[in-house]
Amino acid sequence: MSQHQILNPAEHGQLRIQTEAGAEYGDNVMASLVMPAEFREAQAHYPIVLRRDAETGKLAALALFGFEAGENLYLEGGHWDARYTPMAHAVQPFLIGRPAEDGSAPQVHIDMASPRVSSTGEGVRVFDDAGSPTPYLETIATMLGDLDYGWHDGADFFIALEAYGLVEPFTLEVTLDNGAVQSLVGFQTIHEERLASLDGEALEALMGQGHLARIYMILASLAQFGNLVTRKNRRIALG
Amino acid sequence: MSTAVQHIVIVGGGTAGWLSACVLAARLPDKRITLVEAPDIPTIGVGEGTWPTMRETLATIGIPESEFLATCDAAFKQGSRFDGWRDGSAADSYLHPFSAPPAAEMRALASAWQTGGASGPFAAAITPQHAVCAAHLAPRQRSMPDYAGALNYGYHLDAGKFAALLMRHATQRLGVTRIAAQVGGVTCAANGDIAALVLQDGEQLPGDLFLDCSGQAGILIAGQCGADWVDRSDVSFNDRALAVQVPVEPGSPIAAQTIGTAHEAGWLWDIGLPARRGIGCVYASRFLSDERADEILRAYVAARVPGTDVAALTPRKLTFRTGHRDRFWIGNCLAVGLSAGFIEPLEASAIVLIELSLKALVENVPQTRAAMDIHAARFNEVFRYRWDRIVEFLKLHYVLSARTEPYWQAQRAAETIPARLAECLTLWRDQSPSAWDFPRVDEMFPAASQQYVLHGMGFPVPLSGEDPSPARLAEVAAKARALAAALPTARDYLDRLAAQSAAARIPA
Repeated sequence: MSQHQILNPAEHGQLRIQTEAGAEYGDNVMASLVMPAEFREAQAHYPIVLRRDAETGKLAALALFGFEAGENLYLEGGHWDARYTPMAHAVQPFLIGRPAEDGSAPQVHIDMASPRVSSTGEGVRVFDDAGSPTPYLETIATMLGDLDYGWHDGADFFIALEAYGLVEPFTLEVTLDNGAVQSLVGFQTIHEERLASLDGEALEALMGQGHLARIYMILASLAQFGNLVTRKNRRIALG
Repeated sequence: MSTAVQHIVIVGGGTAGWLSACVLAARLPDKRITLVEAPDIPTIGVGEGTWPTMRETLATIGIPESEFLATCDAAFKQGSRFDGWRDGSAADSYLHPFSAPPAAEMRALASAWQTGGASGPFAAAITPQHAVCAAHLAPRQRSMPDYAGALNYGYHLDAGKFAALLMRHATQRLGVTRIAAQVGGVTCAANGDIAALVLQDGEQLPGDLFLDCSGQAGILIAGQCGADWVDRSDVSFNDRALAVQVPVEPGSPIAAQTIGTAHEAGWLWDIGLPARRGIGCVYASRFLSDERADEILRAYVAARVPGTDVAALTPRKLTFRTGHRDRFWIGNCLAVGLSAGFIEPLEASAIVLIELSLKALVENVPQTRAAMDIHAARFNEVFRYRWDRIVEFLKLHYVLSARTEPYWQAQRAAETIPARLAECLTLWRDQSPSAWDFPRVDEMFPAASQQYVLHGMGFPVPLSGEDPSPARLAEVAAKARALAAALPTARDYLDRLAAQSAAARIPA
């Protein structure tokens, strides 16, 4: 169960956060939300796929870390073997909180039930002894702002994908070194044929809004599936 | 004579003896190492502060850091703080931290600090370690590899437990032979070398090289080889200490540095370990009676360690003479530790001198008797240089004081100040201490150490054209904020380590 609180020096003055990687800190997840604004960094490390929300039908993008729930093939003990972590994962255990009244500034919230909340005296402090934010919290606050911006900025991208019919279901089946078949279902990706058949006017519109580069970054990121399979085979080989 | 050096015999089993045994056995695996110690001689057990060099020493001899910390009841030492040395007022305090930036960077920061009105402590402008020490933080996180840190550090430790750990390690893991016996005398070779030790039961213990780790007695270096004593009490006045150990409250902060507090005729050391504080009153008997020293010690404990039953304390009195041998290596005998010399522990020079002696030995091992005299002559020259620099650096702590008691005035009398120190002080009005003043490899107190003490004591930074950019100061301050947020308190670090070690010892 999560336990959200508004971050403040009175309650969280001595709070420390475990910032290193580790399954014990909730890093054993197969995917993270990734904002279109960070596709450039993400596609250099992870396959980016799309997923349609079962209830709302809205699209979102995910960076994949593994093939099944709880599997993160980038996590090697206390080390995350990639130079970039999607912001939505990296900000944990912090979240953006929106006050009830519209227009007020977003607040930093924290999930006190997160395993990243330290009870050992180790970890990085959020506030210093004077109650001022530490450089760590300043970094987190910046990242939350970027994430918030990325979320709103990304909405148009997904609307455009739908408008031009550029989304199609995606299934993957690979045979691993040990003979087992690894499959991945339930995700969407870019409809390449339809993309290729778009006319100049459509392409110009997509390019003008900055969507076209992001579409190609999703396509390019699919090459990362090869690396993901290699990581999976290596993990199986190591037992 | 070209006899091969095969067998090294160490006399004495304190910190010096067992550290020697471990380092020699680890670094010279083709030599045979034997240590002779009298079973009933207690070690002095007050050498409780190390330098950062101890991390490399322990790594070399193969003791994991967590085992060392837990076994020796050790804590992290990130420098020394000097309270009351300038004028004795309440705000009078400065830090000599172990971390220092590269020389050019340090000069630029010092200039910026001076140009900005010398506001705030000098060390705080130079290194984030000042803020980390002030907040009682550890210099490392437990997830870091052994002996690595975010800042430079050494240790405070329980000397008795340390010697015991080193003995176990030497005898059980490194193949050192321990003989529990009194040394009754020696048998000499024709050339005057020590051929063998004669143990109290008459047994002969022959060796090729002998390390005298017998403490202040120096039974081989002085008793046998005839080294003369070079007295340094003309410069360094203190000759007594009263030492106590005071238990601390569970959960209380553990100081990140040794605290040296000046008093009317000397100073007090205060070394924080997880379970106790070692506190001692160092003084000059020609200026202070034992009774007054006892009062000063008890008053300090009452003020600084609340809740202590001060009347119940039973301080141990130590008497020492300040000085060193005229030669440390004579024939086939090398003095290591207190047998080589002693000076007040103001900058914890005792254990690091042992390490430096061993480093000099293992990197210059005489393979034959013929090479030994050459190594001995070089060693004697280098360590005489080191002793001279130690004496001068400790004196530097006194000569800039404005305290007015007779002892402090006497400390500033020109005839008690070594000529080289007086010369340096003249130059340092115009130019900062630099490698021109301290040009050797492994200088014990390089320019940075001198600057920390000089400017900590209020000596102005000479301004000579460096860029006094305040942006550099801001970078140090930003680093200090980041480190202060990321490092655990020393108390949390060490308590959790102790709990883990205790859990590991319980058989499943």
